[in-house]
Amino acid sequence: MIDVLRAALRLPSAKIAVGILIVIAFLAIFGPLVAPFDPYAQNSKDLLQGPTLEHWLGTDDLGRDVFSRLLAGSTVSVLAAMQSVVVGLVLGALPGLLSVYLGRTFEWITLRIMDSFITLPFLVFAIAMTALLGNGLTQAMVAVGILIAPAFYRVTRAAALTVSHSQYVEAAQLFGATTAWVVRKHVWKKVFPAIAVTTASMTGASLVIVSSLTFLGIGIVPPEPTWGGLLATDLGNLYQRPFGPVVPALVIIGTVWALNALADALKDATTDAGAPPVSKQKRRELQAVPHGA
Amino acid sequence: MSELLEVDGVEVSYGRGRAERRILHGVSLSLAAGESVGLIGETGSGKTTLARTILGLTRLTAGSVRFDGETVSGLGARALRSFRRSGRLQYVFQDPLQSLDPDVTVRDSIGEGLRIRGGLTAPDVATRAEAALASVGLPADLLGRVPGQLSGGQRQRVAIARALALQPRLLLLDEPVSALDAANRIQVLDLLRTLGTDQGIAKLFISHDLGSVAGVTDRIAVLFRGDIVEVGSTRDIIARPQHPYTRLLVGSATTLTGGGVDRERRRELRQALADHG
Repeated sequence: MIDVLRAALRLPSAKIAVGILIVIAFLAIFGPLVAPFDPYAQNSKDLLQGPTLEHWLGTDDLGRDVFSRLLAGSTVSVLAAMQSVVVGLVLGALPGLLSVYLGRTFEWITLRIMDSFITLPFLVFAIAMTALLGNGLTQAMVAVGILIAPAFYRVTRAAALTVSHSQYVEAAQLFGATTAWVVRKHVWKKVFPAIAVTTASMTGASLVIVSSLTFLGIGIVPPEPTWGGLLATDLGNLYQRPFGPVVPALVIIGTVWALNALADALKDATTDAGAPPVSKQKRRELQAVPHGA
Repeated sequence: MSELLEVDGVEVSYGRGRAERRILHGVSLSLAAGESVGLIGETGSGKTTLARTILGLTRLTAGSVRFDGETVSGLGARALRSFRRSGRLQYVFQDPLQSLDPDVTVRDSIGEGLRIRGGLTAPDVATRAEAALASVGLPADLLGRVPGQLSGGQRQRVAIARALALQPRLLLLDEPVSALDAANRIQVLDLLRTLGTDQGIAKLFISHDLGSVAGVTDRIAVLFRGDIVEVGSTRDIIARPQHPYTRLLVGSATTLTGGGVDRERRRELRQALADHG
């Protein structure tokens, strides 16, 4: 497990990704505290200003400091994405693992439930859920979590299935091991990298959905700041502030890129687990050696 | 010698109705404590199915398996687990690369059975693991390695050490040398020849290669198409094979006949087998 993480962090892209994610995590935790202005404070004298020394990213149509709103919006955006991933993990990974061990009835039922989840479109289902349960980001993100659960389910189940039929698991069973022992000692280690990769890529996907929903004004009650909400406000004032959507968009793109890069690095590390670290450059060199040389 | 393992009229079938395929047709075999028996047969004859049935991994359709006077076939999950935890019956898989967890060190692999059984402290488990590794002729500095850092022969020795750590009464070895190269095969066969003789460990050596089994066993049982067709002392089986299939096996084993019989003789033996069946 730690080997996989260590191997992943040897890749330069993973180092940059982790760097970005640490900054984003810092912003999500301390963003509202380090914001130079109150993100909700309106100022009718400073509407739609460009970047100044006082307001680094300018002000919006209500005179609020965009930089402060961006920092404050980090918490909501990141937390919402994580919320849906946690829901997806619990509803997907756990039944995925158990479906291999709890018998055919449980397996059949969970497979059918996941099949039906796959057919639902993300945004439409999330919008329907907020319409049904009230406009709140939690409701929307629980809906998204339900819809990403099949990805966790399938990945975990596939990894667990491969391991559960291996001879070393059979060997442990021949020693009298319980299912819990087998999962703890043999299955979990093999399943974890697959879950880690899915978690990273699904967090990125969730962040895009959070941003899309908040862009549409779903799941969020104004004036609460979010990255998607900022983008929507800035797009509305494109003539006055043409550069406005650039920074919120870059923050969203950067975070999603970092999560996907981390997922890729984890995937590479899982494939190469146990092998000595080889850089992409070195790998290309090795592949270029002609046969028989 | 009292019987340690009694396989009585074991039948195993796969599939149902018209798709039903009988793998074992009422196989009976017994093995005394401390005895070394070879089970020989061609691929698909049912050797591994018989081993898996003895271990309770494959369900039998008729017959029974008794171990140390206790019926072990048809045990419930809890009783079977309890029997397995006793460690009296141990299995060595064909390919150690598959049967050893690639992420688990030699120390933990050997100690796993002991930890599952319980009742030992961590230092005791480590000491037993080291002793088991020494008993198969491997140095203690391999304890911290994972299977990928060992040679094929070392891996199979680790798999044997893992079985020995539980001080079994019977060791079931399923083609233990067929996945190894010639040099490693000889080393492991040398080990198996003397293995457990002091402790009175019985061995059931399953193989398709008569040459490998001949030097390690006291008796040989020949399995052909799901039936035991011949049982006898290793010397008798090799010197005076009775069944046409055994004759073909002995004739084809180059290691026994010094180059094997010629093609014409093998054709005759195959014809005799076809006429018999």
